[in-house]
Amino acid sequence: MLWYKAWLETRSRFLISLLGIVALPCYLVFDQNADAQPQTPVNWYYHALDNGHRLIVVMWLAAAILLMMGGVLREKATGTISFTLALPVSRMRLMLVRILSGFSQALVLMVIPWCAMYLVSIATGRATSLSQALFHLVLLGAGGLVFFSIAVLISSVVEGEYTAPVVTFGLLFADIAGLGQSRYHSFSTWNFMIGNEYFNRSTQLLVGIPWLHVTANVAVAVLITTAAIKAIQRREF
Amino acid sequence: MIDLPVIQTHRLCKSYGSVQAVRDLSLSVRANCITGFLGRNGAGKSTTIKMLLGMIRPTSGEGAVLGNRIDAPQESVELRRRVAYVSEDKRLYNYMTVAQTIHFTSGFYSDWRPETAESLRRKYELPSDRKVKSLSKGMRTKLALLLAVARRPALLILDEPSEGLDPVGVEQLLETLVTQSAEGTAVFFSSHQIEEVERIADQVAILEQGRLLKDVSLDDVRRCYRKIDLVFSSQPNERDFQLEGVDSVQTSGCQMRVVCNANAEDVIERARALDASEIEVGPISLREVFLSAVSETSRALV
Amino acid sequence: MLFKLTASTGQPLYVQLLQQIRHATECGILKHGDQLPGIRTLAEELIVSPNTVAKAYSELEHEGLLDLRHGSGAFINLNRRARLFTDQVERARRRASELVEQLREDGLRDDEIRRIFEAELLCPGKVVSRR
Repeated sequence: MLWYKAWLETRSRFLISLLGIVALPCYLVFDQNADAQPQTPVNWYYHALDNGHRLIVVMWLAAAILLMMGGVLREKATGTISFTLALPVSRMRLMLVRILSGFSQALVLMVIPWCAMYLVSIATGRATSLSQALFHLVLLGAGGLVFFSIAVLISSVVEGEYTAPVVTFGLLFADIAGLGQSRYHSFSTWNFMIGNEYFNRSTQLLVGIPWLHVTANVAVAVLITTAAIKAIQRREF
Repeated sequence: MIDLPVIQTHRLCKSYGSVQAVRDLSLSVRANCITGFLGRNGAGKSTTIKMLLGMIRPTSGEGAVLGNRIDAPQESVELRRRVAYVSEDKRLYNYMTVAQTIHFTSGFYSDWRPETAESLRRKYELPSDRKVKSLSKGMRTKLALLLAVARRPALLILDEPSEGLDPVGVEQLLETLVTQSAEGTAVFFSSHQIEEVERIADQVAILEQGRLLKDVSLDDVRRCYRKIDLVFSSQPNERDFQLEGVDSVQTSGCQMRVVCNANAEDVIERARALDASEIEVGPISLREVFLSAVSETSRALV
Repeated sequence: MLFKLTASTGQPLYVQLLQQIRHATECGILKHGDQLPGIRTLAEELIVSPNTVAKAYSELEHEGLLDLRHGSGAFINLNRRARLFTDQVERARRRASELVEQLREDGLRDDEIRRIFEAELLCPGKVVSRR
């Protein structure tokens, strides 16, 4: 039943996001035809698909942050919290259902657009590479988890409806602008998701999934999520 | 059947910084009873109720609801399975319709009674496909009440249930509470409408500044509580009337009003000994009991 | 039948209820074998705690005025003792009306008489009213 609630709560946000994320990158791939025409398939791939990936990452981040708006603390502000907390479920379960349902929606939001983009490429007779697509997805998934968990954590400690997304976006920009260009650029999650660090300049392709980085990102995300659950468990309403 | 108390607290305290919202509250609420919970705004009623339901952690002391400790998370889930609660603000999910809200809530309880839910929905005139967002406060309150009583809770806790209801709604509410009680559910409700409490409650607990002032049966109030109006020829001394059973003494010039919870005879005896020129004994309403108890406390604390 | 319970009259509600039932049997509104509503029905009708009705019924049963049959309801039982009691009440009423008449002749107003009666019932023998 909590899943039912989570779905009713987020379905409009989710469907709008999905539509946006599928449409824009597909259009981009389609539209970059002109640019890529004189170049090799690899170049075309680089221009169209990699730009597409960048667009998906940006839009996915925005969608994920907006999806995780709300939650137990937001319910405190709207007054429904005393109803929710009186249900015979533990706070741990409340949080887990919200996180897992949000996460599965976020997963759909990254897989479907990529599939769509891939299909558009095939349909328009462009060069495609399944391994490159998967590589991008792994980066997006692992890096996305970090921002997703940050959005969860912040919505678990601040009450305002728009405070949580504003703070999360703030952190994202700090990551891009602050870390991205500095000597600590390899710590930037944004760079990780975009694939900048793993880009082979001669082939213009991504090489070898950086499992260590992936693991580190997932671990950080798990840590942050645990902190969010603990925060809600300790909270008084 | 052994009637263990449905709610039992022992020296329960809750403080927010230096503010003590609930102090040393030792409360025992009986099963098979309708208990009214009275107190002014900020007296600590909602804080107490939220502690019982595990939404707020007590600072010290302990409590149990239906034998489950309130500060143990797993037992708290267990007690919420058997307790129905209508909160003070009666907010429900704006994005759900009435039918969705009922469907959602029914999924949590194995003892849900769909026919009861449906007949109450008709009685309360709640349109199935209306969004909660567009319900009036009165309708929202009725929906919250429906969700609480469409199963068989062992205990029903309501925080100011009649607030925002029209007179017909209030009658429906009180009737519902009586029905619940007849079905064996213990009812514990807070209210500012003392007359409602006086009509249906068996037992009344009065809270003031976080302390339990009184925990009395209404039969006792009616049988033993008296107000005695006295007139003397000169200004009387309040101290002469600090007898056992006297709750409050009020003087204005040569007039005096004594409220006692027992031993009215002794007060009259004393008044006669002091040459009172007029003595009038009368019963006392719950409102007067409440006001006299509360004013006496705030006087004592000044 | 119709009952009238007042919340603040110095008498527990169940006492008011049982007195009204008793009174109804005394003046013939309720007859031997008449059925009273069940506890739950009457409580819902009067909007009082079911305990109030239950207590009144069980006291009346104790007095022998009511038969509580599980599952089928409550029935008025006017046995010989109860009928004797009815006569007794009739006599008492005559005496009370004589007394009231006498007090009126003594120059007391009705509200003063009512106050004396009420005070006497609330606190027997202790109340003086001097002017």
